[in-house]
Amino acid sequence: MIWDWQYAFEILPRLLKVAHVTITATLGAFVVAMILGLVLAFARRSTNRLLSGVTYFVVEFIRSTPPFVQLFFLFFVMPQFGITMGALMTGILGLGIHYSTFLSEVYRAGIDSVDKGQWEAATALNFTSRQKWVHIILPQAIRPIIPVMGNYLITLFKETPMLLGITVVEMLSQAQIIGSQSFRYTEPITMVGIFFLILSYGASLLVKRIELRMDINRR
Amino acid sequence: MSNIQSTERPHTEAPIEGKDPIVRFKNISKSFGDLQVLNGVDFDLYPGERVAIIGPSGSGKTTMARLLMTLEEPTDGFIEVDGRQLWHKEVNGNFKKADEKHLHEVRGDIGMVFQHFHLFPHMTVLKNLMEAPIKVKGMSKAKAREEALAMLEKVGMAGFADQYPARLSGGQQQRVAIARALVMHPKVMLFDEPTSALDPETVGEVLEVIKEIAKDREMAMLLITHEMSFARDIADRIAFFDEGKIQEEGPPSQLLNEPKTERLGEFLHRFGIDGKGHNV
Repeated sequence: MIWDWQYAFEILPRLLKVAHVTITATLGAFVVAMILGLVLAFARRSTNRLLSGVTYFVVEFIRSTPPFVQLFFLFFVMPQFGITMGALMTGILGLGIHYSTFLSEVYRAGIDSVDKGQWEAATALNFTSRQKWVHIILPQAIRPIIPVMGNYLITLFKETPMLLGITVVEMLSQAQIIGSQSFRYTEPITMVGIFFLILSYGASLLVKRIELRMDINRR
Repeated sequence: MSNIQSTERPHTEAPIEGKDPIVRFKNISKSFGDLQVLNGVDFDLYPGERVAIIGPSGSGKTTMARLLMTLEEPTDGFIEVDGRQLWHKEVNGNFKKADEKHLHEVRGDIGMVFQHFHLFPHMTVLKNLMEAPIKVKGMSKAKAREEALAMLEKVGMAGFADQYPARLSGGQQQRVAIARALVMHPKVMLFDEPTSALDPETVGEVLEVIKEIAKDREMAMLLITHEMSFARDIADRIAFFDEGKIQEEGPPSQLLNEPKTERLGEFLHRFGIDGKGHNV
């Protein structure tokens, strides 16, 4: 039999021991992406042409280069300029920055989807610019883009194994290490696959719930 | 055949004598690119006064309200609100373009009801009314809630406080939108074709609410409307807009019964009112 249950149970603790690395990297990077993405979306919409133009260039540049190259650059090149961070921290920042460029475009679409009349009504009630964004526009802009953001979360989650490139050992790289020690790859790799499946599916269910919860037409 | 002169005009004459205008348009022009929408408009509105603005589509009447609400910026001219410049700041005797801070200060005197209501869809009816008093005026939640409920009562929507706007009919949404503007207690209220987007059967309920508010005379009202009989019933003065200018203005009886300009005569005719104030 190809599948050895006893072996599988033996290595399970070693795999789960690094599960938190995968989860921390995913959630950390996504939080960075959500915040930075919003900042980029605002900068892109700025009436200041220089700011808007530079942002456009930066977004296109980051979007068009592989995240692996960016991670590599952050981890191995930045220290030469005196900027040193832990491997996991670098991974969180690197993936976060990469995905922020995608999320900024998603935000932009969400913001553009809010009816112009909402801005006008908010002006007529004399809300300040900040209040308009926080209380009127963003709550309406986020709702339709939740499914798309959920997709990016899951894609990001599945790309965390690339952090091996900067020495972060998460689940898939742990599985490879285990495999190389015992020459049995089927069990660890399969188990990691199932782990990803369970968490991805769980996340998509969660996104669905949030989506329904925020759907004003169902209230 | 009925005479346009209504017997049910409920109000006293406009109490404008000896008062300074609350809104003053001085030689206001507005173009969108090559299109000149307003062409040197002079117009005064007095405290507590109710003025209806009529005229064909595209004549610039909506633009006038939008300039006053600071949704559009005039190309030329001055607007005063309660003695203060709206779009300009006076610095050492010179007029400078107003910044957002200045606009924020002055526009608090103005409220607006839109053709398409523009209620906030992510908030309940009650929250729609409470948000601005709390956030903009710094009112306490309890007080804002109390005022909001009282205002909903006034527009006959008290039973819908916890509903979301999407569940309401157009007429109901517009009544909520009116209440939302009223809780800010503006000195001037703009109604931009408040019934044009409504199903015919809900127009009446909204007009009733506006009439009810008009009785209070707490604020000046500028009503852009196509409802001629409503304008006649409610307005102290009607201004007829065409080609970016006020062509004619006066009390409803005079303006509707004895139009001086051919244009107004033609316009009224299209609404089934002949040159002598008779329905045809």
